[in-house]
Amino acid sequence: MQATLRIRRFNPETDKKPWWGEYTLENVHRTDTVLDLLHRIKWEQDGTLTLRRSCAHGVCGSDAMRINGANALACKTLVSRLGVKGNEIKIQVEPILGLPVEKDLIVDMEPFFDHYRAVLPYFITDQPVPADGRERLQSQVDRERFDDTTKCILCAACTSSCPSFWADDRYIGPAAIVQAHRFVFDSRDEGMNERLDVLADTFGVWKCRTIFNCTNACPRDIQVTEAIAEVKQAITSGKV
Amino acid sequence: MAAITEKTSDRMTVRRVQIEGNRERYAWLFMRLSGVAMLVLAVGHMVIQHVLNSSTNLTLQFVAVQWSSWGWKAYDIFLLWMAIPHGIRGLFNILSDYVHNPGLKRTIGILLTLFVVATVIWATIAISLFDSAMIP
Repeated sequence: MQATLRIRRFNPETDKKPWWGEYTLENVHRTDTVLDLLHRIKWEQDGTLTLRRSCAHGVCGSDAMRINGANALACKTLVSRLGVKGNEIKIQVEPILGLPVEKDLIVDMEPFFDHYRAVLPYFITDQPVPADGRERLQSQVDRERFDDTTKCILCAACTSSCPSFWADDRYIGPAAIVQAHRFVFDSRDEGMNERLDVLADTFGVWKCRTIFNCTNACPRDIQVTEAIAEVKQAITSGKV
Repeated sequence: MAAITEKTSDRMTVRRVQIEGNRERYAWLFMRLSGVAMLVLAVGHMVIQHVLNSSTNLTLQFVAVQWSSWGWKAYDIFLLWMAIPHGIRGLFNILSDYVHNPGLKRTIGILLTLFVVATVIWATIAISLFDSAMIP
């Protein structure tokens, strides 16, 4: 089939404003991913097209972008899912919103990682290492509580799909809350007070308006809005 | 091969946390609780006024009959106490997403709070003092 891609382009050295580039590809298959098509454009038509990608298999989280208006990983989005009409497909690709565009589909992820670092996303405990020097064990019930939020790959698809974050980038954002959730609800971790202090702040969980964009955007199917609600409940009830 | 036979506890570990209280937290709790209250009160209000009765008959006389009982006065006052702060807090939430200047945000917050307090007091007095016998 034939694919027409409309890609948001911006080169800070030559462009004053972003513009739309149009590219046509032949012999596109329904099983191709959007990343495959972007590769073909870069390799066969315009080598200046700039994008981030690493593993290309939905694990590293570096190719989150806005595809046909919805955030997704380019490497996990199949052409067949984008509304093929007859023997044609039209795809629009833009950088994720809410973060400064550096070039074409690449955004500056530093503001995102600043929020990530703010929730202390690492294991905190004063307990000594177990005598056998091995794992700190916990029950299956306790492990289950944060199982979902361990799946986050920090692709920023959730945070950059959130209108609260678009409106005010001081909002810590869904991804940082998911990361905090992973440790706050871990019975072995002891840093919950510090983390919840950050999340109980004006720019913490209360900026969430429960509109579920984050849950829809997550390429790992994490129930992001539910995790945020659990953090709100923990802060309100004083129990984790 | 060694099988894993250790049986773990079925009880979830629950721990206490100490977080400093702030306004946002109580406001959020109020929004949730008032939302649930209004689900009953506002839907009930709508069913009574628009389903069980025709809205074309909503006259002062109709209100006078309803407000001759303290139960209905209390119902409407309570609905008002929930609805006005809930709606205005929602408006403030939306505005605070876009108003980033702390001074301006504070001013808007104070004005909206004054509006809520004034409206709630005024309407409470008005409903409480409503005398059905005065309506012909």
